[in-house]
Amino acid sequence: MFTLPLLAVLLQALSGAPLDPLQAPAGTKAIVFLFTSTDCPISNRYAPEVRRIAEAFGPKGVVFRLVYPNPSEDAKAIREHMAAYSYTGVAEAVRDPQLRLVKLAGATVTPEAAIYAGGRIVYRGRIDDRYVDLGRERPAPTQRDLFDALTAIVAGKPVPHATTQAVGCFISDFAR
Amino acid sequence: MTATLGRPPTGRPKGLHYDCRSAGLQACLFVLLIAGSARAQSVTFAKDVAPLLADRCGMCHHPGGSAPFSLLTYADAKRRAAQIAAVTANRFMPPWKADPADGPFIGQHPLSAAEISTLRHWVEAGAPEGESAGESVGSLSRQSQQSRWTEGWQLGKPDLVITLPQPYTLPAEGTDAFHIFVLPIPVETARFVRGLEFRPGNPKVVHHANIRIDTTPASRRLDEADPGPGYDGLIARSAIYPDGHFLGWTPGQVAPLLPDDLAWRLETHTDLVVELHMQPSGKIEQVSPSIGLYFGDRAPTRTPAMLRLGRQDIDIPAGDSHYTVTDAYTLPVDVEVEAVQPHAHYRARDVRGDATLPDGSTKRLIDIADWDFRWQHVYRFVTPMHLPKGTRLSMRYTYDNSEANARNPQRPPARARWGQRSAEEMGDLWLQVMPRDEHDLDLLSRDFRPKVAAEDLKGYESEIEKHPTDAALHDDAALLDLELGRKDQAIAHFKASLALKPESAVAHYNLGTALTVARRLDEAAGAYREALRIDPAYANAHNNLGNVLLAQRQFDAAIREFQEVVRLQPDSVPARSNLAAAYAAAGRQPPR
Repeated sequence: MFTLPLLAVLLQALSGAPLDPLQAPAGTKAIVFLFTSTDCPISNRYAPEVRRIAEAFGPKGVVFRLVYPNPSEDAKAIREHMAAYSYTGVAEAVRDPQLRLVKLAGATVTPEAAIYAGGRIVYRGRIDDRYVDLGRERPAPTQRDLFDALTAIVAGKPVPHATTQAVGCFISDFAR
Repeated sequence: MTATLGRPPTGRPKGLHYDCRSAGLQACLFVLLIAGSARAQSVTFAKDVAPLLADRCGMCHHPGGSAPFSLLTYADAKRRAAQIAAVTANRFMPPWKADPADGPFIGQHPLSAAEISTLRHWVEAGAPEGESAGESVGSLSRQSQQSRWTEGWQLGKPDLVITLPQPYTLPAEGTDAFHIFVLPIPVETARFVRGLEFRPGNPKVVHHANIRIDTTPASRRLDEADPGPGYDGLIARSAIYPDGHFLGWTPGQVAPLLPDDLAWRLETHTDLVVELHMQPSGKIEQVSPSIGLYFGDRAPTRTPAMLRLGRQDIDIPAGDSHYTVTDAYTLPVDVEVEAVQPHAHYRARDVRGDATLPDGSTKRLIDIADWDFRWQHVYRFVTPMHLPKGTRLSMRYTYDNSEANARNPQRPPARARWGQRSAEEMGDLWLQVMPRDEHDLDLLSRDFRPKVAAEDLKGYESEIEKHPTDAALHDDAALLDLELGRKDQAIAHFKASLALKPESAVAHYNLGTALTVARRLDEAAGAYREALRIDPAYANAHNNLGNVLLAQRQFDAAIREFQEVVRLQPDSVPARSNLAAAYAAAGRQPPR
């Protein structure tokens, strides 16, 4: 885990303007980065759960940012994606075509979550354990890792598991 | 291999003959690493990867295909390269669950270990395109590639296309969803069907389709009772595979057109019953599949038989990780096995079928070591498997009803009994077999029928235990009891059904027929009279009552009943001949 505060990484806002994703309004307790892509089936199937978590923790000082690392997904495609999966208004979106935030957080797949709090990444991994492997999934999750981590953070407690293994579409493919 | 090492020759042995013991571990690892990446560098999309993707993945992963994305161009493949390597390495893709040694089956496209390595090496080398690939696949031009995987119907233009009157709306989330659609087949005369092609409409969410036909109104009534298109529930008992032909769909599978002499007969006023297995996508989806039918000109001269091994008394204790279901049947005639289809739900792990020939030798029908409910293929043999009379067909399925099975629909694990609902369990092995001739088909059908009826009955008994107030279950169980000669049990089920709907004329009539078969004639007559009290115009009840009275030598009363049948059904030939027979039995002349 990171022990030093992270340096600013400049990403792209949907407007194209540079944006420091680690900056957030005063009073923010944590920033959740949700690495996603417009056409990853597993990522998209999680949209309702991501919305639920964002709506639950938004009022408690948690900012949600969807991170789109695929360079071929432009602002127009991202806006359409956010509208189709009802993310608009629930989460902000940033582009990470250089995979800067991906590398900083250590994300490998979409969907994968990273929580930035207290100047460091305190959680990185799956949203929950519904997907065991590609082609093997549970009918319902037995561990809601992202939800549990945020619950701990807003209660001022340590995160139960700092990292978990996410299952989904490989971000490394976007870099080619 | 030695030439790819990338190191100047030394006095030492080269390549894989490199002596690790003398060089020390670190140097040895270095050499092996170089060797690996050097091999990877020789793999390119154009030369090695494109032909594999086109041949093994293209049937679904083409533009407009049943997969959610295409993999035919370099641009398509490059942006999913690591994913391709991963899903092929764990054999999630291509979705071929059977042991590659089985079959060979039509549409069998598993990758060999060497081919999987090729894909991995390509990714390790950075997914290079290689020479002259351009926007096309391998050496094929883009145009010829597209004509290989047409965007439209794979079997050509259908003679009849059936679609939903309105799309079905699938919710954004939830577990696997099942919905049954009942679609009238608009044919004016009976037709001979050579093929059926299913197009999912929304391949992102439609995972497979279980297709039957129903010549009765039963499925339609279930649909009408449920608002919106289709219905949630179980496939009606009257929705069947036609004339021993499988009709399902899984991605990548299109059953080839049948030869004319093997077509199945489609009667007018038949409904197509399509159960869709869908997976929510994260947003609300519209689902609008279509079904194409292909007709032939001639009536079939051959008819296959559908055999079903399996158990309907499955009862898996909670937590049991090695529950076994076995069944067997010995063939009374020679057959050719055309196709097999295993069926089980989420707890099944190893699914296996075998044939033991009279000489003691065995042939594997199917073996799926890691059963996945999501991929319910019909496995059609390229060359039908010949099995002589006396061959023992057997199945052995194992189930994991513990927490260790991630797919277990119950958590904590719960007792699982037989049932069609996906939270219940099943264990069937369907076999489509072709007997030598009509005589053998008849022999086989008559020999096999009691076995499957007895098994169905167990399923009904189990359902009745779960739903004791469902009169229709009692009725169906009673009919099976009658078929199996279990008269007392049939009477008991019809009595149970009657107790649930005491003012139903049909329920009294049904009880009367079972009592008649049991030769309990006084009680039978009483039941028919009750039916007629409720519905005086019930012609069949008059007829059966007439027969009972005739057997009791109450000729005048019998003749009155048959006269009533004739009055109700003046055009019925059997009604008139029954009346004539009653007069004859009474030794009288019918009035002029």
